[in-house]
Amino acid sequence: MSAARPLPVDDAGRPLFELPDELAIDTDVARRVIAGFIRGQLGQAGFERCVLGLSGGIDSGLVAYLVSESIGADRLLCILMPYRTSSPASRSDAEAIVAELGCPSELVEITAMVDGYFGRDGQAGAGGEAVADATPVRRGNFMARTRMAVLYDRSVAFRGLVVGTGNKTESLIGYTTLFGDNACAFNPIGDLYKSQVRQLAAAMGVPNQVIAKAPSADLWPDQTDEAEGSFSYPLLDRILYWRIDRRRSTDELVEMGFERPLVERVERLVATSEFKRQVPPVAKLGPRTAGVDYLYPRRRPGSTHS
Amino acid sequence: MLRIALAQTAPGLGALDANLARHRDLLEEARAGGAGLVVFPELGLTGYQLQDLAAEVAMRLDDPRLAALAAATRGLSACVSFVEESGDHRLFIAAALLEDGEIRHVHRKVFLPTYGLFDERRFFAAGDVVRAVPSRLGVGVGIAICEDFWHLQTPQLLALDGAQLLLNVSSSPGRDLAARNDVGLGTATSWRTLMRTYAQLTTSFVVFVNRVGVDESVTFWGGSEVVAPSGEPLFSAPLFDEGLYLVDVNLEDVRRERIALPLLRDERLELQARELGRIIAERAGLASDSTAEPGAEPGLDVAPMAPLPSPSRRPKVPRRPMIPPPLRAPGEDGVAARAPEEPIRLRSHRR
Repeated sequence: MSAARPLPVDDAGRPLFELPDELAIDTDVARRVIAGFIRGQLGQAGFERCVLGLSGGIDSGLVAYLVSESIGADRLLCILMPYRTSSPASRSDAEAIVAELGCPSELVEITAMVDGYFGRDGQAGAGGEAVADATPVRRGNFMARTRMAVLYDRSVAFRGLVVGTGNKTESLIGYTTLFGDNACAFNPIGDLYKSQVRQLAAAMGVPNQVIAKAPSADLWPDQTDEAEGSFSYPLLDRILYWRIDRRRSTDELVEMGFERPLVERVERLVATSEFKRQVPPVAKLGPRTAGVDYLYPRRRPGSTHS
Repeated sequence: MLRIALAQTAPGLGALDANLARHRDLLEEARAGGAGLVVFPELGLTGYQLQDLAAEVAMRLDDPRLAALAAATRGLSACVSFVEESGDHRLFIAAALLEDGEIRHVHRKVFLPTYGLFDERRFFAAGDVVRAVPSRLGVGVGIAICEDFWHLQTPQLLALDGAQLLLNVSSSPGRDLAARNDVGLGTATSWRTLMRTYAQLTTSFVVFVNRVGVDESVTFWGGSEVVAPSGEPLFSAPLFDEGLYLVDVNLEDVRRERIALPLLRDERLELQARELGRIIAERAGLASDSTAEPGAEPGLDVAPMAPLPSPSRRPKVPRRPMIPPPLRAPGEDGVAARAPEEPIRLRSHRR
């Protein structure tokens, strides 16, 4: 058994977050595997640098720490991409992480890009009148995809790969924007639940205020994940862990004490978001079709970028 | 005394030439370090997650590149692993014993995991032979590849066939990261348990060489080991670190252990063969199972239960006491006793 590290506490001595027992990981092993994974991905692809979008939240913050530990902070470019309604605290937290790590960073305000499409102050944007009353979800998706476009553009100039920052919990329930925040060359934390992200972030020294604040996609003011989904992460993580990783049935989860309506709702979220976790299907027509019966590793001799 | 070199390498995926060169370098390094046996991991010459690349890196046993590698083993024994293409163009995951410039033996992986994160049966043919071979080391050597050791029969057959040194070469992906596990990794805990158990039960040395590095999503965890015939681990390589690790073993320990603990002497092969013959016939529905409950599937003693909403609400069913079957006259055993109209229920909730 690995030595249990005490969870970090706030000023009043309360733990910064709740870590369910069954989700506790050996953070030393996780760091080791992830550092090797990052170097392996870069090596196989013939790259030496990484680019990521730093929101000021725990997920991208943790990935910035992991990449810095793996390849050195000077080879990581963090891009801060606030919109005019983004929380100022997010930006100051992101700046604190950049200062702590000493990695290069850039600020790209996406306000003009997003407003240029949806319009602002009664002025129609490129999308015309039809998009003027777009819902917050549409606007949020557009922002996520705008950030993706910026990241991929900057990655060419920096000669780096775009690193994914989505966690396992949000991927499984589909709380991501397809081709937006989930777009990346590789993802070092995509198999860690939110509770495990917190545990690893604490072990790596991510600032406490980043670990403790309520997770938010920050796509509109005062949005938080847990309020939007009406769940708590430790509970959601446990349901997903027992249902998916440990293959327990709905009935077995109910017997363990989880509320049936919540379990069933989580199952629906997982089932309806399956498409977000897979490569789009190609109509099978020829003798050999990519992803169906033409199956190669992503990189092989002769395929490296140089 | 034998010095064993564990080549815990990180092969380049599909990079056959580079991996061959690395093998030759490590053979020389091991020789310089006084090693008599050098063991490389599963598919150390090709990398693991090959998929359709397998056919492109496959070698026939008369491949000059293999002969060149074998030539580098004068005065040495080495176990190397690659994709072997047979004369009828089947692709095998193979491990060869190279000694004194020759290919002495080739083991073709028998058990190809095709579940979970594994997809080997899609790309490879399964070997049909488990055999120990004599070696220049003065002991019998038994080679197995990764999943081969997740089946009890493999180490047992190798030991019974004369192996005193069991080699398992692996590409085991690390997974089940959890604080409750021994070294933080469920895979490592399982493998360590297996290796110690096999060494003790076969009273043989077990040499486990697992690769490191990353192929696609998976990270191979290393942790190569040498376990004495007593089950005592003599050496455990670090997790995830590439390296050539030298371990000295006293081959006399096999004799000492086998005299003190004569498990192999006491094996009952005829009993095992007889019972296996019976089980094979029963599972094929070719013989009746005299100890089975009515309604049990062929070869399974326990009858299926009606499905229930949850495991904890299943009633406890008293088990019938097991009574040995009466002796029957020769020829009495025959085709299944089950009447043809009796429905076969395919659900068993206790498997």
